Amino acid sequence: MIDLIISILRSGTPLVYVTLAGVIAQRAGVWNLGLEGLMIIGACATVLGIIVTGNFYVAMAIAMLLCMLASALLWFVIDRLKANPIIAGLGLTGLGIGGTALAVQAIYGSLSAVNAPIGVPRIGPLFGPFAPLSIFVLALPFVVFGMWVLLRRTRFGLRLAAAGEHPFAARSVGVNPSRMRLVALLAGGVLAAIGGAELAAGSLNLFAQNMTSGRGFMAFAAVIFGAGHPIGATLAAFFFSVVSALGIRAQLSFGDALPHDLLQALPYVATVFGVWLSGKLRGGLRAAGGGFGELRDN
Amino acid sequence: MAAHALACRAIGVTYGSLKALDDVSVAFAPGQIHAVVGQNGAGKTTFARVVAGLVAPSSGSVEVSGNSVLPGNVAASRAQGVELVHQSFALPPSFTVAEALEFGFTGKGALYSRPQLLRRWQSHLAALDVSVAPSARIRDLPVEAQQGVEIARALVTDAKILILDEPTAVLSPTGIEALFQRVRRLKAQGVTILLILHKIREVLAVADTVTVLRGGKLVAGPLPVADVTAPLLATLIVGEAVAGASGDVAAALGAGEISHTAHRGLDSRPKVADLNALSTRPDPEGPALAEASLAIRAGEIVGVAGVEGNGQRTLVRALAGLVETTAGTQHLAGVGSEKLTLAERRRLGLRIIPFERNVEGLSLTSSLWENWVARQLVEGKLLSFIAPRRIREACDRALRAWSVRYETSTQRAGSLSGGNAQKVILAREVDDDAKLIIAAQPTRGLDIGATAFVWQSLRAAAARGSGVLVISSDLDELFDISDRIVVMLSGRIVAEFTAPFDLGAVGAAMTGAR
Amino acid sequence: MQDQVALILRTLVFIIIAILLCAVIFQIAGFSAPLMLQSVVDGAFLRQGALPQALRWGIPLFITAAGVALSFRVGFFNIGAQGQFYMGAIFAAVAAELMRGAPAPIVVPLCLLSGMLGGALWALWPGLLRVRSGTDEVITTMMGNFIAGLILVWITSGPLKDPSGSGQQASSRPLEAAYRLSTSTGISPIIIGIAVLVGVVMWLLVNRTAFGVLAGLSGRNGTMVAWQGARIDRLGLWSFAISGALAGLAGTIEFMGPNGRIASGFLPTHGFTAILIALVANLSVIGTAFVALFFGGLASAALYLPVMAGLPAAAIDIINAAIALFITAKSATLERLFKLRRAAR
Repeated sequence: MIDLIISILRSGTPLVYVTLAGVIAQRAGVWNLGLEGLMIIGACATVLGIIVTGNFYVAMAIAMLLCMLASALLWFVIDRLKANPIIAGLGLTGLGIGGTALAVQAIYGSLSAVNAPIGVPRIGPLFGPFAPLSIFVLALPFVVFGMWVLLRRTRFGLRLAAAGEHPFAARSVGVNPSRMRLVALLAGGVLAAIGGAELAAGSLNLFAQNMTSGRGFMAFAAVIFGAGHPIGATLAAFFFSVVSALGIRAQLSFGDALPHDLLQALPYVATVFGVWLSGKLRGGLRAAGGGFGELRDN
Repeated sequence: MAAHALACRAIGVTYGSLKALDDVSVAFAPGQIHAVVGQNGAGKTTFARVVAGLVAPSSGSVEVSGNSVLPGNVAASRAQGVELVHQSFALPPSFTVAEALEFGFTGKGALYSRPQLLRRWQSHLAALDVSVAPSARIRDLPVEAQQGVEIARALVTDAKILILDEPTAVLSPTGIEALFQRVRRLKAQGVTILLILHKIREVLAVADTVTVLRGGKLVAGPLPVADVTAPLLATLIVGEAVAGASGDVAAALGAGEISHTAHRGLDSRPKVADLNALSTRPDPEGPALAEASLAIRAGEIVGVAGVEGNGQRTLVRALAGLVETTAGTQHLAGVGSEKLTLAERRRLGLRIIPFERNVEGLSLTSSLWENWVARQLVEGKLLSFIAPRRIREACDRALRAWSVRYETSTQRAGSLSGGNAQKVILAREVDDDAKLIIAAQPTRGLDIGATAFVWQSLRAAAARGSGVLVISSDLDELFDISDRIVVMLSGRIVAEFTAPFDLGAVGAAMTGAR
Repeated sequence: MQDQVALILRTLVFIIIAILLCAVIFQIAGFSAPLMLQSVVDGAFLRQGALPQALRWGIPLFITAAGVALSFRVGFFNIGAQGQFYMGAIFAAVAAELMRGAPAPIVVPLCLLSGMLGGALWALWPGLLRVRSGTDEVITTMMGNFIAGLILVWITSGPLKDPSGSGQQASSRPLEAAYRLSTSTGISPIIIGIAVLVGVVMWLLVNRTAFGVLAGLSGRNGTMVAWQGARIDRLGLWSFAISGALAGLAGTIEFMGPNGRIASGFLPTHGFTAILIALVANLSVIGTAFVALFFGGLASAALYLPVMAGLPAAAIDIINAAIALFITAKSATLERLFKLRRAAR
């Protein structure tokens, strides 16, 4: 049982951090489909940074910086150049996946996985069987709670939401919606970097090409499933990782009786289910036939 | 002499090649109610937004109480005590009232608990006599309450100058009276009020001074209201006369007198639409229709009055078949139509000029010919072949017949002015096969010339035998063109009047006070 | 006409910006950016035999992109071309397996049809979820890609597994030569014929039918078309089905043509590239054909780079991604420049 909990926490934690990045962007009115790309940049930069500097914290700072830079690029393209957020987000994702592959190949001359000597600091023996979990797992409840306070219990959160929902209302009280979007995307860059770091260096301490395998998109789906609420989205993200963990568990129990490749599809199916359910319950968050879903700004 | 509360010097605003404001210099004395009037497109809203810092002027400067204000900066204007109440309210619909008040607040308490927030704004609302629960969601509020919240939002900081942009456009006559009371109270507290208006009657009722804009230029003002008369103001607002439409101009300006169309005795004509105790599901944009009965006869113009959000949109959707009906019957051109799709209804002769011209009426990024031909394509088969060149030629003929000013049928609809855009919709929706024409807010945002054109077109359509249903929140408009007026309240049709109409009686029906 | 010139200019400017961004990334990663770009251009367009290679890769891309363009035109973000491409290939492979031994004139058309059916079905479920319950199609089609990828892994390592196959990539048994649409060159009269047919039919559908005009209107403003009485859900479902069928057809052609078998994870960037082609071509059918040739060249360069120039193939993915990042951008500055030029005339 404890094994199961640990495996859920391990697979769920990176997803939740990236989901929170999506939540804050969604609050500011940006559909961030670049999460996948940010996450893999975070993962790759952390592992390579650890290898080069030997220090996790320096590596983490580099990863955050790079993800903020990528977020700023995304902001520039969709806010200043009015590009379509969905396509631009997919572009950023492609840049992340391709760029990290290129970086690994440039340094190691091949595309095999890269191992780091150390990873995210673990929480230690004080926590008994949970000792091998990383500090980011421990920090998670505080981060989620902090995000909830920030978005739902502060004036800043209201202004962010106003900038997303009704940019004109924000402008008419002197809030610059475009700057709010930048702030939200930069904060999302930091969170996605943590998510990527946790994925790569939270337990295995390695980076492999394309290792996010759709987790960024799942995080995006968790934002929808969780109605953009920090806690709801966190629960949605954990729901996806529970499904995934149960799939692995089923595989271990039944062995070859179940096609193992199809069990791997379970989290993706769960994601579709989650998005379907939230569409059913609340109607789509995005307006129907809304052309190219451009940022609203009147 | 006391300093001016607000002084604007040589303000100019250009959008592309259009001069929205041109060298406007005007100063307002403190502690008074100043009306700024002009027809649509005269630059009133732009003027208000420049003063509030929402629009950066390309030239000129603004001074508040003698201090010059950083142009195009809302925070700077707000710091000087300038607040703007928008025509279409700037309140995020998902916010609660308390949140909507809080997010523009600049004082202490940026971190709060929910009870704190409610308490903080409960007293503010009470002090302003706005009777709305602070925990209510904006999207659930009727428009008059939303306006109260919007005014309360503008007063969360210590406002010295309050600008209200066309605040009366969405209100019932009683709502307008209540608003004027509120404005007078604020004036008594020393707030300088700028009221953007376009009805002369309202100017004369509430303002101390009046300033007239026309075509982005200052025409006159501020003139003491005691020194002006309705005809003088009308002349100032319109400039040269609009050909052959003096009655319509007076109606469009709300210049006191209301013209009366005599009831034309159309009772024997066939019914083009007949709703019998029709009820619907609630619509996302308003209440459900509740046992609405309404008949429109060929050649008749029926007006629908009511404060916005009382089921007018649902009524149009019900006639269009875009909302599910739960009880009752409806007939269109004599055919039972509850089960028909909109395309089938259009084949029977239903035409719709929808509420939102730029969203529901036209695709602004599509070409004129595509916009124009859409109805015919929908009525035909999906896979039928088309010849674009021939369609463009037919479109050219139609647009010319409706005297649309345009360059080519391949230009985007968004490049036309409001009046010309509405003419494109008329060219599509008003034809000889039209049995019932629904015209929802057909003149909103149009200048007086275009308004008169739309009215004349609808009258002509009725004269050719179409039934016309006009939905408007402008009673002057309804009084001017309707043979009969029904009043909607909470999804019901609560009263019916025939010409000549009485403003007091219709206004009372709109708020349910009989 | 002038609008179109402006559009093409804008597209070119943003592609150049994207390539500059790539150059920066290459340089940071430690490659020589000029050498890299030079090699890409060589591999894509200048080396001997570049054109047939561009055609070989461009034709399936064009077919998929023509479908993607249609669904974007109607305003639906069907980004599931990759999954629909896989499902088309899978359906065709299963059909071929079931009919093993039957005469080619029966098997080939039935395989093509079944591939289109597979792609269409894989597009229809997100389409139905979209129009019936408002489920966001971006997520569902994206998840469909991952799921289809795993189904492909399962089918090539299970039911259709080639027992003689070795190596890391599981693949199906090779298709009998009689059923092949082309040799590994990927170019044959029948494949070119199919591409031309797709082009003509799609051009007619988009430009010469009521469906085409209403689809375009509905993509730009669905509310307006709904108020005209058009059934947006029906337009949407048809566009999903057609775009899925075309992606499936492309998958079938890859399977029955150049590849001759299906392998797990084959052509993993096909769908994304097709989306890009549709966008660069501004959703026009004719434009799609030319742009597909360009990206077909890039795709062939991805094979050329590691072998001939010793450079990573990921460079092509990065170029594509950077173009995606910028391709929908608008620039007020550019538009002003163009307006000034027009005014000066």
